[in-house]
Amino acid sequence: MKLSKYLKDKLLPISLFFVMYFIILLILFAFKVQTLLICYISIVIFTFNIIFLLISYFRKKSFYDNFLLNIKGLDKSYLVLETINKPKFYEGEILYDSLYEINKSMIENVKNYEFQMNDFREYIEMWIHEVKIPISSLILYAHNHKDIIDKNLVYQMKKIEDYVNQVLYYVRSENAEKDYLIKENKLDKIISDTLLKNKDYLLENNINLIVDNVNYSVLTDSKWIEFILNQIINNSIKYKKNNTDSYIKITAEDLNNKTILIIEDNGIGIPLSDISKVFNKSFTGTNGRIRSKSTGMGLFIAKNLCNKLGHKIYIKSKENEYTKVYITFSKDNYYEVLK
Amino acid sequence: MKKILIIEDDKSIRKELSKLLEDAGYKSIILESFENAKEDIIKVNPDLILLDINIPYINGEMLLLELRKSSNVPVIMVTSRNSQADEVLSMSYGADDYIVKPYNPTVLLLRINSIFKRIEKTNNIVTYKDLSINLQKGTISNNEVEIVLTKNEMIIFNYLLNNQNKIVTRDELMTDLWNNSEYINDNALTVNISRLRSKLKEVGYDNIIETRKKIGYILL
Repeated sequence: MKLSKYLKDKLLPISLFFVMYFIILLILFAFKVQTLLICYISIVIFTFNIIFLLISYFRKKSFYDNFLLNIKGLDKSYLVLETINKPKFYEGEILYDSLYEINKSMIENVKNYEFQMNDFREYIEMWIHEVKIPISSLILYAHNHKDIIDKNLVYQMKKIEDYVNQVLYYVRSENAEKDYLIKENKLDKIISDTLLKNKDYLLENNINLIVDNVNYSVLTDSKWIEFILNQIINNSIKYKKNNTDSYIKITAEDLNNKTILIIEDNGIGIPLSDISKVFNKSFTGTNGRIRSKSTGMGLFIAKNLCNKLGHKIYIKSKENEYTKVYITFSKDNYYEVLK
Repeated sequence: MKKILIIEDDKSIRKELSKLLEDAGYKSIILESFENAKEDIIKVNPDLILLDINIPYINGEMLLLELRKSSNVPVIMVTSRNSQADEVLSMSYGADDYIVKPYNPTVLLLRINSIFKRIEKTNNIVTYKDLSINLQKGTISNNEVEIVLTKNEMIIFNYLLNNQNKIVTRDELMTDLWNNSEYINDNALTVNISRLRSKLKEVGYDNIIETRKKIGYILL
């Protein structure tokens, strides 16, 4: 709160005061009062008025300065009411009480949405568990009746499962609740489980796999990271180059404070103009439009999940040459101590 | 014959699961009612249990906890709950493995097989006719010669051996190889099988792996 601005705000009472003072002076002169007395009266009037102004200024200043500072300092500024005392001047009280009421009504409103979101999330999770039962049943049935069932059916089932999982992880990634569990997981196991799931898809597309130097443990949630890896591998298959020997190379680098997983392919790559946008929601880019239909959600969800897990994910690519996806897992020193 | 108990409330899944297990040479028993699950399990006395988490009356995890008070039978949790928290919980309650639905049926059989192997602590030497196969060293030998198999050849031969006299599909062999982090392609599988055949010929067994057109292979 600045004094100059405060005074400007009080321009009307101050000018009224000067008008009053001028009238008093006129009256005093009219009654031919002694000049000395006029001086004394003037001093008293001015002193008290200035004191009055300053007192009311500093009272408000201490409240509002604190108030504004706290708003700036908080990352959730709606919590500011918790950090200040109720002011002792009337306007402040009105502000304080109103903010209290506004906050309350906003919290109720937000809570309402939270409940709705939670209900929705629970329903989606439940529905996904439900829908996986007939999928499992069909996969088993197809396996038991290989002689009469085309292999394509299993492949289509796998596609359905992938799409269903995408919804599950979208809901999980958008949710504020912490529903993952970070523990030590073997990187080679995660990779092998993901590749095994995509075996038919990879073989059908004649993609050679090179998996090398991945015998490390990383701190992560195995199910979440398998979903992320699945998205990346599916992209590699989807955007492979025709007429060349395609490969996907999975390696890891173990550094002092982190482990980096690198998934490289020799597919069509990503145009320079698109590369900064691939993690954006619903971004399909040039490749997504040319090739098969793409929802633009896979990498967006992958990035969100990585953020939640505390992993970094980034992509380097050269059009028509390669795409490399990097995921870094940091090592927790505290965790090392506990072991 | 090993007895496997299926605890699963979806009728269609348990029917197919039962067929899968029977085809793989196990005896499968289905738990029809879940009211007295624990007592029924003990009565059946299975060699292994496939346990779903979402079953009526009692949650699968709680059932496992109860069961562990009186039995050490191997349990594989089979569930559509795809979360690490559930997996860790199940394992801490004493599950031997955790498989998420929908699963690859061949992978399920491999996992069952590996649990049985672990329990029986089968030594690393198995026999086929007069051949002795050392799984650890990766060798096959008759009385005169010893031949070294590559890791891939050994995985293939071992799978065929475990399913002797049954038709084994290329897909099953491929699944076992990939499950062992050997990500080979179709051509490589063909090459590996022909190498395995010629190595078997060296120890005196020609044509014991027959090709069944469009289906797979069979070890006689």
